[in-house]
Amino acid sequence: MFCLLGTVLAGCIGVGTPQKVELKVFHAGSLAVPFGGQGNVTMEKAFEEKYPNVDVRLESAGSVATIRKVTDVGKTADVVAVADYSLIPKLMYPEYADWHVMFAKNKMVLAYTNQSRHANEINQDNWYEILRQPDVKFGFSNPNTDPCGYRSQMVCQLVELHYNDSKIFDDLIANNTAITGRLENDTYIITVPDDISPSQRVSVRDKSVTLVTGLEAGGLDYAFEYQSVAKQHGLMFVELPSQIDLSSVDYADTYKKVQVVRASGEAATGSPIVYGMTVPKNADHPELGLKFVEFVISSEGQDIMESYGQPPIVPAVGG
Amino acid sequence: MIEKIKREGMLVAFTLLGFLIIAFIVVTLGNMLATQVVQDLGGLIKAAQDPVVLDSIWLSMYTAFLATLVAFIFGVPLAYILARKEFLGKSLIESIVDVPVVVPHTAAGIALYTVFMHHGGLIGAPLSSLNIVCEDAVLGIVFAMLFVSAPFLINSARDGFKSVDPRLENVARSLGASQWHTFCKISFPLAFRHILTGSILSWARAISEFGAVIFLVSWPRIAPLLMYERFESYGLSTSRPIAVLLIFICLTIFIFLRLASMRWQRHDSD
Amino acid sequence: MIAIKGVSKNWRDFSLKNIDLEVRKGEYFVILGPTAAGKTLLLELMAGFYKPDHGEIWVNDKNVTRMPPEKMGIGFVYQDYSLFPHLTVKENIEFGLKLKKMPKEDVEKKLKEVMKMLDISHLSHRYPRTLSGGEQQRVAIARGIVIEPSIMLLDEPLSALDARTQIRLREELRRVHRGAKLTTIHVTHDQTEAMALADRIGVMMDGEIVQTGTPEEVFHSPIDKVVAEFVGVENIIEGIVESSEEGVTTIRINDHIIEAISSAEAGSRVRICLRPESVTIAPSKTTSSARNTFSGAITQLVPLGATYRVEIDCGFPLVALITKTSVEDLGLRVGKKVCASFKASSVHVF
Repeated sequence: MFCLLGTVLAGCIGVGTPQKVELKVFHAGSLAVPFGGQGNVTMEKAFEEKYPNVDVRLESAGSVATIRKVTDVGKTADVVAVADYSLIPKLMYPEYADWHVMFAKNKMVLAYTNQSRHANEINQDNWYEILRQPDVKFGFSNPNTDPCGYRSQMVCQLVELHYNDSKIFDDLIANNTAITGRLENDTYIITVPDDISPSQRVSVRDKSVTLVTGLEAGGLDYAFEYQSVAKQHGLMFVELPSQIDLSSVDYADTYKKVQVVRASGEAATGSPIVYGMTVPKNADHPELGLKFVEFVISSEGQDIMESYGQPPIVPAVGG
Repeated sequence: MIEKIKREGMLVAFTLLGFLIIAFIVVTLGNMLATQVVQDLGGLIKAAQDPVVLDSIWLSMYTAFLATLVAFIFGVPLAYILARKEFLGKSLIESIVDVPVVVPHTAAGIALYTVFMHHGGLIGAPLSSLNIVCEDAVLGIVFAMLFVSAPFLINSARDGFKSVDPRLENVARSLGASQWHTFCKISFPLAFRHILTGSILSWARAISEFGAVIFLVSWPRIAPLLMYERFESYGLSTSRPIAVLLIFICLTIFIFLRLASMRWQRHDSD
Repeated sequence: MIAIKGVSKNWRDFSLKNIDLEVRKGEYFVILGPTAAGKTLLLELMAGFYKPDHGEIWVNDKNVTRMPPEKMGIGFVYQDYSLFPHLTVKENIEFGLKLKKMPKEDVEKKLKEVMKMLDISHLSHRYPRTLSGGEQQRVAIARGIVIEPSIMLLDEPLSALDARTQIRLREELRRVHRGAKLTTIHVTHDQTEAMALADRIGVMMDGEIVQTGTPEEVFHSPIDKVVAEFVGVENIIEGIVESSEEGVTTIRINDHIIEAISSAEAGSRVRICLRPESVTIAPSKTTSSARNTFSGAITQLVPLGATYRVEIDCGFPLVALITKTSVEDLGLRVGKKVCASFKASSVHVF
């Protein structure tokens, strides 16, 4: 029995198996599919094919949590990839990183399924009217913990400007949660308290991916999601006008009019959704981490991003 | 000394192995508690004064209590049947009782959500037409906790009833006691220590649950969820005091109940 | 009066086959049988704990086959006493009384009576696990009889006790039975116990009652070889106590005197019982510590494998069990005169 135990323990430690270098990649949940999903071509598989002595270890979490694992918990990662590049300078500079690269875009959509109420009527122009219907339940992820969550708030504010209907934010968000909005010097400031207190009409979950479960189960009719997530999960979605979907650099000035202040006091200003990546200063294998970053922004990596509905930024922009 | 070690070789080895597993548990928790107390006592005091934190700990404790109560009301009778009767499909029923223990909690969470969601949930929808809401409501927390914690109470109560000699029940009946009376005065008191232990385990399990609850209910926030949210939005320094506080409160109650159940042992049959 | 009519039952490893039995009012009836004969199950059926597959049970001319046990008014004492471990002696005994909705004073009075009768008053506040086996058994009996059952069922009540306590409690049971005129059914595998207590005996083998009768009938004329082997072919002899001094009793049987260790009173009619293996045979009178020596002629020699059953007429019939080698060494044969002796301490007097 002890021999067996010994063998098992040895196996855990890795004795007796050919030594592979472990490359640890901490990434945002919305990158889970292109990085390491079920598909035939993922970053993990392609990279391991190219560097056979490397074993890519992926760890998925919310973007903020991904960074906190490095800065607060003290774990080491060789690559950190998040859904909002600005988090890297904000939370990691200067102690844990001093550069980042913007490598992919995304856009906000309203995801649904064919079982969702009013699924046959919804389109780009009436979607906010449908969300106003009392029998409809919609959801967004927690703005305090997930960038997708605070971006959903930005969308609901921007839509007022776009359709010139000043009641949309109140009807959808303010009246259903403890989240409030106000206008200050031409900037719309949305305040998210620690306790969001959602009503029964909305569902607030920790991660945007959790909302997909709700949509698929039929308990939720609509959810604000990244286009990539909607595509990867085979959901139907309403494409929103570029002026509000946070996708286009052309409308960066429009997006800037909205600011979300989270419970922690940190503020996020509306900006195009740009994914950022860095190699933390305390990485175990910094050169290899850099190789991974280079691979993601190479044309091969860009093709992979594109194929999962996350348009790459060509060429990638450093910062 | 060496002679003694040679003679008692096995017991020495077992003591050593046992010590290591205990040390593993004590060091893990002790380190967190000690780090918190030594490095950041202020943070702990601040957390202990934060009404949001206290509310969520209180919420966790009393929803866990409700879940245990429900498990008790429905589980104790089932446990008695399982302990006393042989019937077709009994092992199937026993396996069903154990299923929640083996199901991954995320899967349990998704399953619970699908059944109790108020739009189209198999149970949630009819309940919501009666104005009873499970999704994002206290009731939903109770159901989710019940699902993962009931097996502990049921299994423990079943073992308890099995340990009661059926002859004692026979004698009580022959002395003129009805089935109900026999259960209340003989079987239940004699199985009570097991049932109490099961209830404590079930309650503790319910408090610690996260995965099964959050799909159905992310508001109001149970303590583990608040901890997680605080970690994500503020980092470890804000979430750890909540964890330490919760562990501290739970341990206190746990030790108190354990002592109570040990006192009960005096009157037990074994 | 309890009557079992054609009762059959299959339960776990036991089965009872078509049992007919009648126990009269006030009778002390012993069901005697080897372990695993189904005796306990039969008793549990009578108490209503289980229901028979076939047949009926009547108590005092009422069909109680389907009656729940709490309505039957039958007292039950298990071999392991089955005292409620979480209740004190007093609480155990008053358990049944409290259910009778009796005035409190009456409960107290009855409690006192029964505890005095069984000499357990001093134990009243103790918990069962602090009592000796004999004390526990007294409490169990007290708990059973205090509710004044119409029938008392005892399942091997003495078998877990040491020999001395057994004898004391046996006398106690007899006394309680006589005092209360309580119909009692007592299950045992011990022949001596059956002999000592029974008005009548039912012999049970493999789930069947194979013979019913007085102790003399059962022990003297076993119905078949199986019963004979089980009851052990006892010597049962009736006599009158001549005198009793310092524990040594002389008993007159016809013209012979037997000495025994007992406390029977002079002049009383008793049965003496002697196991055949306690009887030794010598060719002529020898000096030995045996107080009782009788000469007589061998009337029968029955080979039983390694032993012989030797019947001798010493003015009363005496059966001895002798090894085959001894029979050959002594040249025993029918008609031969021998000397049979046995110790006073091997004689049981009832």
